[in-house]
Amino acid sequence: MAERIILHIDMNAFFASVEQQANPELKGKPIAVIGRGRTVVTTASYEARAFGVKTGMNSWQAKQACPQVVFVIGDNRKYTHTSSEIMKMMGDYTPLVEVFSIDEAWLDVTGSLAMFGSAENIAGLLKARIKHRFGITCSVGIAPNKLLAKLASEMKKPDGLTIIRPEEVSRILEHLPVQELCGVGRKTEQQLLMMGIRSCGELGRYPLQRLTRTFGIIGERLQQMGKGQDDSPVVPVENQQEVKSVGHSMTLERDISSRRDMEKYLLQLAEMVGRRARRYNVAGKTVHLTVRYADFSTVGRQQSRKSPANQSAEIFKEAISILDSMEISQPIRLLGIRITNLCYQRQQLPLFAEERRKVLATCAMDAVNDRFGSFAVTYGSVLDNSGKGSFVISPAWRPEGIRSVEVE
Amino acid sequence: MQIREPIRVAVVFGPGRVIKPVWFDWHNRKHAVLETTYTWSDSKGSSKRLHFAVRDEGGLYELTYDTVEQTWELSGLEGG
Repeated sequence: MAERIILHIDMNAFFASVEQQANPELKGKPIAVIGRGRTVVTTASYEARAFGVKTGMNSWQAKQACPQVVFVIGDNRKYTHTSSEIMKMMGDYTPLVEVFSIDEAWLDVTGSLAMFGSAENIAGLLKARIKHRFGITCSVGIAPNKLLAKLASEMKKPDGLTIIRPEEVSRILEHLPVQELCGVGRKTEQQLLMMGIRSCGELGRYPLQRLTRTFGIIGERLQQMGKGQDDSPVVPVENQQEVKSVGHSMTLERDISSRRDMEKYLLQLAEMVGRRARRYNVAGKTVHLTVRYADFSTVGRQQSRKSPANQSAEIFKEAISILDSMEISQPIRLLGIRITNLCYQRQQLPLFAEERRKVLATCAMDAVNDRFGSFAVTYGSVLDNSGKGSFVISPAWRPEGIRSVEVE
Repeated sequence: MQIREPIRVAVVFGPGRVIKPVWFDWHNRKHAVLETTYTWSDSKGSSKRLHFAVRDEGGLYELTYDTVEQTWELSGLEGG
């Protein structure tokens, strides 16, 4: 493969930076962005990080680490808008933009150099435009592949620009701990440590046969990662494989134990999943239910139907049937519903009058909600639910298409 | 703090589709906008809404313009 030039853009402390920009009073102060009703830190500003405040801490731990920390309730709409605009800016330099998450993307600029001069120039232009338009900074990594570009962007934060040239790869990786590589999680890291592999250099030199024996087909990929090799292309959202599932989950404002509460939140989730599936004309044959208990232990079960479903009532019925098969051992903090085994372009009115009436009623409901907003018309049982809609930006969120969830 | 009150806003619609709130009335007081600190948009149903975080001399406010209904709302307040 001819040498490529890949950029990885990583927005610095994204949610916290947006909040500091929106409220000048917060600039230069240690802040932690938290979710509504819950107290887990989703992002901390660099000022807070200096005191040890980290993503995932609860507010009490954050206050212990930094008594002067200011808690800000996150506004997901601000973040999704800002992210979408930044991703659009990236599209001005190359059509090959792969959104990795709300605050990260890769750009393949190999074919854009004739127009913009150099990758450094493109990085500089993007950084300046983002700073000018939103007042926030990002770190950019430039390298011959996605793996190294991501590694490079991690090397200097905030507001960094790091280049890894092909001739520098082996020197940089030689002593780099394996956990720094994107794709090596804690479990893999521990397995590698047990094999005596600590650095990327050691991983790259390790006998392939022994890696494959432990990790299966991933073994070869791990060895390539150790050598800094990655042939995976930058895939724009329109070229990505068809979505394999549609789902929503919600962390409840308070832990629930009553069957009635479980049913009303499941109905709400079924409506959110069904509505998004209907909007993009897909239906799922398998329904998955996820339950997270107060102690954070999580269980999931699935059930398949004879025919694919995207009607909220059908999804709800299936979820309830799964719930009935589970032993609920303690209060619940999170519920999730997902449909998989998707079939696309499903548009068929049922043959029988009663079923047909249900589908037409759903279509009418969807039309009203499309005009006036989600849950403008909904089931009576979910009317008193405290928060309706999606309050979490899932890692799968994308600025366009079926993954573009409207967050509250 | 969430407010959600319809309000009167004076706005300059500039070239390049730039919308700049200049002052707004709230609680029988005219608030001069010193700075628009952030703008973003979202949609509610088919309505596109433009949000403006603005600062006067006493606090930070969120003004929302519904582009279909052509109405302004004070959506939130910090400080003040």
